[in-house]
Amino acid sequence: MQTTDAATVSRARAGDSDAFRLLVEQHSRPVFRVAYRMTGNEHDADDVVQETFLRVYRQLDRFQERANFGTWLHRIAINCALDLLRSRGRIDRHYGGDPEEAEMTGAASTDPQQDRLLLSAELRDQVAAAMERLSGNERTAFVLRHFEGMPVEEIGKTLGIQVNAAKHTIFRAVRKLRESLEPFVRSSTCNI
Amino acid sequence: MQHLTEQELVLHHYHDEDSPAAVTQHLAACDVCRAEYGSIQKVLALVDEMPVPERAGGYGEQVWSRLRWKLGSTRRRKTWRSALAAAAVLAIAFFAGQWWNARSGERRPSAVLTSTGQPGAAALHNTPATQNRILFVVVTDHLDSTERMLLQVANADAKLGLDLTSERGRAEELVASNRIYRQTAEQRGDDRLASVLSDLEPVLQEIAHLDGKLSPDEAASLQKRIDSKGLLFKVRVISAQTSGQETSPAAPPQKGMTSL
Repeated sequence: MQTTDAATVSRARAGDSDAFRLLVEQHSRPVFRVAYRMTGNEHDADDVVQETFLRVYRQLDRFQERANFGTWLHRIAINCALDLLRSRGRIDRHYGGDPEEAEMTGAASTDPQQDRLLLSAELRDQVAAAMERLSGNERTAFVLRHFEGMPVEEIGKTLGIQVNAAKHTIFRAVRKLRESLEPFVRSSTCNI
Repeated sequence: MQHLTEQELVLHHYHDEDSPAAVTQHLAACDVCRAEYGSIQKVLALVDEMPVPERAGGYGEQVWSRLRWKLGSTRRRKTWRSALAAAAVLAIAFFAGQWWNARSGERRPSAVLTSTGQPGAAALHNTPATQNRILFVVVTDHLDSTERMLLQVANADAKLGLDLTSERGRAEELVASNRIYRQTAEQRGDDRLASVLSDLEPVLQEIAHLDGKLSPDEAASLQKRIDSKGLLFKVRVISAQTSGQETSPAAPPQKGMTSL
């Protein structure tokens, strides 16, 4: 734990609301990033950020001071995001989903620069769709390893699985992503 | 030559393999595995194209401003339990006082019964002024907390649905305390307060028993019920009256006036 975090958490646990405010202000953006990558939706990510800090506040007494606050916070954020995804039954589109943008993507264009933008939007949709095909565990393990650089041991702890199972989960995620995106990689390589 | 498996290549990408030197050595010598590895890297690079919207430097402050009153309600849960206990004690004291007066009345009927045969004002405001002021404080606090919850519902964008699951616990506490205050108000003949608390109870109960997020239609329906009964307005008016009496000396309660 960073020294500043340790001292601030200690003050927050003692009921100092300014200290908790400091933690919220320092950690909101990283929590938003992980929440967005897991949910793929800005509004949902904002909700996850709120819910995360609410849970953190309620569970501050349970936080062990020797632990890393950032890691603990991340776990809570991930659990909040997973709860939200589960509550939706994965019905909503997690990535992309802006109808106006989808319309734009389908529009014809003769401008090369606009074509590139449209291709970029299409790429994003492809990645979005590919991410959506991952299960909750696969999405979490992949996001934590690929984007957050979390060690597999830590991912195993977060998901409550063995290290080898965590490695296999990440592999399954990558394989699914390859199945979805490899044809697109070839076409984009030709076009760009 | 035995080629590397897809899993070994993925693990190599993330430096999670058991023997990285052997994999590196194989890749240097094997075109097939190198091509496969390159393909994995391209796909993962494509995933990196997924942009994350940047939040401005003041994002943390925005989160805090939305969060702070919720934290207040969390912190006040213990206070609410104490308030409930206090209200219960005061209610018991009130009923005990009434019972005592009724017994006294049996001995001295002319002293406490009015000409109509109903218990007189003296029987209704038997509690000391300090007890009244304590009650004003807890009722005002209750109304204040209820108003915040109603505002949260009323100000929400119904089109997005409404998630009040985190508020269920607080709503349950409000239902419990609301019931006590309503019964006490009825006993004391404070019809106006009793009526407002009676209107609040079904809405609070609905929030307390919510099972998951409200759909846009359900959220709009709840907002409509709050709006149609003018609940927010009533709560504000009654709250202003009770908070005004927190500090004023206890006056004899009159029928139809907020006297609690």
